[in-house]
Order: sequence, then C-alpha cells, then structure tokens
Amino acid sequence: MKIKQELLDAIAAHGKTGYPYEVCGVLLGRYGDGRVARVVPMFNREREKPRVRYHMDADDLLLVQMRYRDEKLDIVGYYHTHPDHPPRPSATDLARAMETGGLTDGSFHIVMSIEGGTRASAPCGWIFRFDGERFDEEAFEIEE
Amino acid sequence: MAVRVQIPAPLRPLTGGADTVEVEAKDIAGVIDGLEGKHKGLKDRLCDATGNLRSYVRIFVNDEDIRFLQEKSTALKAGDTVAIVPAIAGGC
Repeated sequence: MKIKQELLDAIAAHGKTGYPYEVCGVLLGRYGDGRVARVVPMFNREREKPRVRYHMDADDLLLVQMRYRDEKLDIVGYYHTHPDHPPRPSATDLARAMETGGLTDGSFHIVMSIEGGTRASAPCGWIFRFDGERFDEEAFEIEE
Repeated sequence: MAVRVQIPAPLRPLTGGADTVEVEAKDIAGVIDGLEGKHKGLKDRLCDATGNLRSYVRIFVNDEDIRFLQEKSTALKAGDTVAIVPAIAGGC
C-alpha cells in the first residue's frame, strides 16, 4: 500500500487533537490501485470508554461511501490511534474485526500511537485476515 | 424483482471485481441467498453459522438500516438499492 506523507501527517494531527481519546477514520482509494488517495476523519461513536475504544457507525460509513462513489473512491481501509499504547492491533481490535465477518477481510488498517498528546509514533500498517483470525503487519510505501 | 446490491471492496474478490450485483429477491433474506447463488462464499462472509447476520454487519435499503425496518424480512421493490456496510470498532 502506498500513502503520501501529508496523509500520514493528517492522521497524526487528528490523533493529537483528539488525545487522550482514540480517534478514527477511513482510508479511501481506487479498488485494486494499492494506494490511499484520501483520509477522512470520522466521529468516534464510542460512549463508554473512548480513551481505549473506538467505534465507527455503519451509518457514518455509508455516508462516506455515498459521498465518494461518484469519484470512484472506495473504502479500502481504516485508521485509529492508541493513546499511550503500542501501535499494533489489540485483542479488542481483532475481536471487533471478526464481528464484521468477511466484510473487512483484506482491509488495510493504520494504527498510530499518540504519546502524551504531543508525539505520534511511526504509523504501522496491518491487513485483517478473516480466515486466519489475525492481523498481518504490512509494510507501506510513503510517497512525498 | 431485481434489486441492485452495492458490493464493498473486501467482497469484490468474490464477485470478480464487480462493485454492483443485480439479484432477484423479494426481501433481504432473498438478497443474501441470491448473492450466494451468484457468488459462492458471500453468505459466509456476512452471516454466522446459524445464518444470522454477524453483529457488525449492517444492511441498508435505500439508505434505511434494516434493523429499523423488518430486518431480513424487509420487503423490496424493483429498483431498490441495497448497501452492505460494516461497523468498525476496536481499542487498545
């Protein structure tokens, strides 16, 4: 997966602004292109534990899907932050992903750690494998 | 009657890359069976072993969530658009 540095900077800025809460968003691209063309910040709808949980409503995601359909942009992945926790998928991330069935199989996830609200870690890329019940780390190419 | 089903990117390997599939169905249960009939394996991606939709799988008919209609019994009419969308969640 390829992504421009300015898009990663946007994710980091979102994460710092939202600290100490988790923030989340969507990665858009053209199907099969292997490139993130745009990132869209989303509301974290989690109400009980927003410091350690995030939730993107399907209603919100449907609106994004409709908004960008004419531009031939699809939801190819998602991002979220881990405030003061490592940038790797947690047991909670995996359990929730499994609840989507195969509907997010192969989706690209960027996880970024935000430390103290001021420092963003290097982003980590992961691919969700429904059949394997795991996330595989996925290197991505950063474009200028 | 024919309805159009929008296929999200992760399911397109099963539809040969098609982003929209037309199926004949009178309700959502029929859509799921119709998708499975055309593209084997799709139903398992959406439903659990008992045939119920997985908890983070949402289906919309003309932008209305079927949980607020008649769920899988939601009736369809010709030309309706069905969208399949996940809720995404997790945490550290």
